[in-house]
Amino acid sequence: MHSSQSRSSGLPASPMLFQFEEVTKSYGAVVALDNLSVAVPSGAVGLLGPNGSGKTTMIRALLGLTRVDRGSGQVLGMDFRSRQLDIRRLVGFVPEDECLFPRVVGVEFVAYAGELVGMSSKDSLQRAHEVLDYVGLGEARYRKVESYSSGMKQRLKLASAIIHDPELLILDEPTNGMDPAGREDILELARDLARNKGMSLLFSSHLLPDVEAVCDQVVVLGGGKLLTAGNIQHLKHLHNRCFEVRLKADAAPFAERLSALGCTAEIRDDSLLVQIPEGRSQQLLWEVAAEQRLQIRNLRPQRSTLEEVFLKALEQA
Amino acid sequence: MPIFDQGYQHWTGHLSGHAWRWLAITRHGVRVGMQGRVFRTVLLASLLPAAALAFALCLWGLVERNSDFVAPIVQFLISSRLLNPAVVADPRHYRVEIWTLCYNLFLSSELTLSMILIVLVGPDLISQDLRFNALPLYLSRPLRRIDYLVGKLGVIAAFLGLVTIVPCLLAYALGLLFSLDLTILRDTYRLLLASIAYGLVIIFSAGTLILALSSLSRNSRYVALFWLGIWIVSGIVATVLQSVDQVQRRQASFNRAMASPSASPTPQTLPERRRPRRGGTVTHRWSSEDFEAEEIEAAKTNWRPLVSYTANLSRVGRQLLGTDACWRTLSELEPAYGRKRYLHQYTGPQYPWYWSAGVLAGIFGLSACILSFSVRSLDRLR
Amino acid sequence: MTPIVEFHEVSKWYGNVIGINKLTLRIAEGVTGLLGPNGAGKSTLLQLATGQLYASQGKIRVLGQPVWNNSSLNRLIGLCPEQDAFYEWMTGWDFVHTSARLAGLSRSAARDATQRTLESVGMLRHKDRAVRGYSKGMRQRTKLAQSLVHDPRVLFLDEPLTGTDPVARHDLMNIIQRLGSEGKSVLVSSHVLHEIQSLTPNIILLNHGRLVAEGHVRQIRDLIDKHPHHIVLICDEYRKLAGRILSWDDVEGVRVLAQAKGLMVATRTPDAFYSRLPELSLEDGMAIKEVYSDDDSLESVFKYLVNK
Repeated sequence: MHSSQSRSSGLPASPMLFQFEEVTKSYGAVVALDNLSVAVPSGAVGLLGPNGSGKTTMIRALLGLTRVDRGSGQVLGMDFRSRQLDIRRLVGFVPEDECLFPRVVGVEFVAYAGELVGMSSKDSLQRAHEVLDYVGLGEARYRKVESYSSGMKQRLKLASAIIHDPELLILDEPTNGMDPAGREDILELARDLARNKGMSLLFSSHLLPDVEAVCDQVVVLGGGKLLTAGNIQHLKHLHNRCFEVRLKADAAPFAERLSALGCTAEIRDDSLLVQIPEGRSQQLLWEVAAEQRLQIRNLRPQRSTLEEVFLKALEQA
Repeated sequence: MPIFDQGYQHWTGHLSGHAWRWLAITRHGVRVGMQGRVFRTVLLASLLPAAALAFALCLWGLVERNSDFVAPIVQFLISSRLLNPAVVADPRHYRVEIWTLCYNLFLSSELTLSMILIVLVGPDLISQDLRFNALPLYLSRPLRRIDYLVGKLGVIAAFLGLVTIVPCLLAYALGLLFSLDLTILRDTYRLLLASIAYGLVIIFSAGTLILALSSLSRNSRYVALFWLGIWIVSGIVATVLQSVDQVQRRQASFNRAMASPSASPTPQTLPERRRPRRGGTVTHRWSSEDFEAEEIEAAKTNWRPLVSYTANLSRVGRQLLGTDACWRTLSELEPAYGRKRYLHQYTGPQYPWYWSAGVLAGIFGLSACILSFSVRSLDRLR
Repeated sequence: MTPIVEFHEVSKWYGNVIGINKLTLRIAEGVTGLLGPNGAGKSTLLQLATGQLYASQGKIRVLGQPVWNNSSLNRLIGLCPEQDAFYEWMTGWDFVHTSARLAGLSRSAARDATQRTLESVGMLRHKDRAVRGYSKGMRQRTKLAQSLVHDPRVLFLDEPLTGTDPVARHDLMNIIQRLGSEGKSVLVSSHVLHEIQSLTPNIILLNHGRLVAEGHVRQIRDLIDKHPHHIVLICDEYRKLAGRILSWDDVEGVRVLAQAKGLMVATRTPDAFYSRLPELSLEDGMAIKEVYSDDDSLESVFKYLVNK
């Protein structure tokens, strides 16, 4: 939980980032959110869900851009049905699509974004330079934004979203279509903001490794309903005494020997899933390896990946 | 500590209430608009009529004080038949008329220049935002759609106000100074208010129309073409319709005259423009005076000028400024036989002004509908 | 290993700007990943291979035939482009069926193929809806379907998984892997390294229009000797372990990971290092609980090779 600084709203930092209570929203015949109730504490939260699960609708509801049919909810302690404008002063949003204010240079772009939130023009220009330094757009800030590469445009959008120092930053598919270098930049910035600078994050993405790299908690939606939510490490539970082993050479004789010693060894792709019997530890594996003069290149306790958590949650729905 | 954190800093500043958000949008739009070199040139050129207006009012002020300074200029104007000597003889009496006509001329030239300014800066206002998808950036900030639209309208208002309303005020002040007569205020304050009102009518009508057009397309070139269509093409169409109508009426009146019993053996086919000669052997059965009387009568219900957008604006403007009344006063100075022709020549179309007001109101309503529809439906966060 | 796609000293420039610079490579059967930063020339390579662009220099052969102006070859090639361009008014079924017919299938064969392909990509439920109503994931699946419907021998997939949710991603990756194992040659270009990593260990890495590396990821890693391998060891007595490890000559550095209770060891001879680990672990009090190296991953290889 980040330190509670009293912000311009005058309220102490609410322990709950946002909460929904029985929120329903339909677009004609399609039900986007179905009686959704969730309470999310502050921190870095990942928002996952297949297409059409209501993620976009949820974000729009948080920003007050769409009216919900039923139910209520608060963002940072403020009701999103009545105080949308106040909420948007404390929230920054990085949209998924290509978005630009046309025909300006980078620093004017960010300063304008700040003025639109209500900063004075002097404040916003000063702050624009600060955040542009932070996201790493150096001399490029004096060039027209139409000439930027896609990675630079993404960082520009991020800069314009944090110029007013929001409490909550919403990132909608921030790494979509970016090359690995650009992706790493954005993830690094997101991680820094969330872990070191005390900003809460709502990270909506399809790329599960990205979500894992940045977020501590995750909310999974499906069909407009909440499928699962919680701390990522807790959800990826430890399989007690199951280990993932990769050897340099062929694993078959190794597996055979382990089975003889009372373990269950399962060959999967190029690695081995071994379950050690009661009372023994990994040393058993080292013993067998020393015996057979094999190299163990990878030995890790088995942990389900976020992908498995996600797919299982979907199945259970 | 000597080493300062170069990373992200928190910010605790003051955020203004959202009532002023439209101002940020207007300032930004003005800054972007001023980037165009052609636009800046035209803007500067638009100030020339303003200078001319100021000059004319100052001149009149000196005429009122019977200053010798301006005597040669006045002589020149009288000799080139632009000014009636009776007016110069009693300037105070004709003060309101002259001021009104100066303002009228200024505002009609500024009307044309405004149309040009709008075609240079207007199409980009919303269509570029659509093309580069800036709307999610706007709408995810604490401002409402109405703030966005008012802000964009403010850009048009800023530029058009600069060339219409501001010169009206400044020229008025200068004219007042040069005549050193405060009674002018009492006589002409209504004119000042009317000219400001006319400026506002132009701003709101043309501004909402160009915004509505701009919100319909992502390509600002199409919007510019559409605007040119509305302005120029509608004017041409109106003129063509009027000419056709006039020719038809002339033909009809001629036929009617032919069919009347007092037929003369030598019919005159061409209409005579000059006064009929006293005495003379040729009898003109069909007199141009009768035709003119018909024209004047028909002008009262001629709807064809309504087709032209700028004609509507100028009709409302004339009504606000009261120019027709001024022309009538001045026509008293003309000999009786020529009065009607004089009026017909100088006053514009004579149909009731509330027809034009109705057309403008309708266009305004349509623009408002288009704007509310297109900005709403284009807020797409997929 | 007969190469299915062959590039021989191929260059392509656009005016002064170079797209591909003297590229020579051979792609065999199975799934191959095509990687590179933005502007590396991946799209140019795919367009050259499918005959959409004419090479300024060099020769390109697919399945033994030259590609330029060879329409009969298109029967054997499938392309899933990056751009999102459809005939929006067509239904999913129409679109794939038309593609099948354009590829030369008879009407009945096209019908069967469309049915089969739509089922395999999971779009049978939505086949009668117009494409303009599809979500991004559905469009990607349809695009993939149209590239598969005529059962090509060579497939070029340009960013096939963008915008798809994890469920679709999972399904589509299975399809691609199955195609690879069926003996087809599949070239997948993508920015998302961990996807390529799960699909295949064979990669082609481009940078600035030139070929930087080609082959199996781990082999490539072994050849990069400028960067020492980093191996993480987790052990309760990590400091004691560090002392023991530092006595080995080929260890270049040890970093303490206090929070994880482990060490990160830098060495240029990973082979020798790993072979010594089992005996070390069995020594008194040195039980190694975990060992792993992120270094073998595609991500680190990419970083080393591209960010010189």
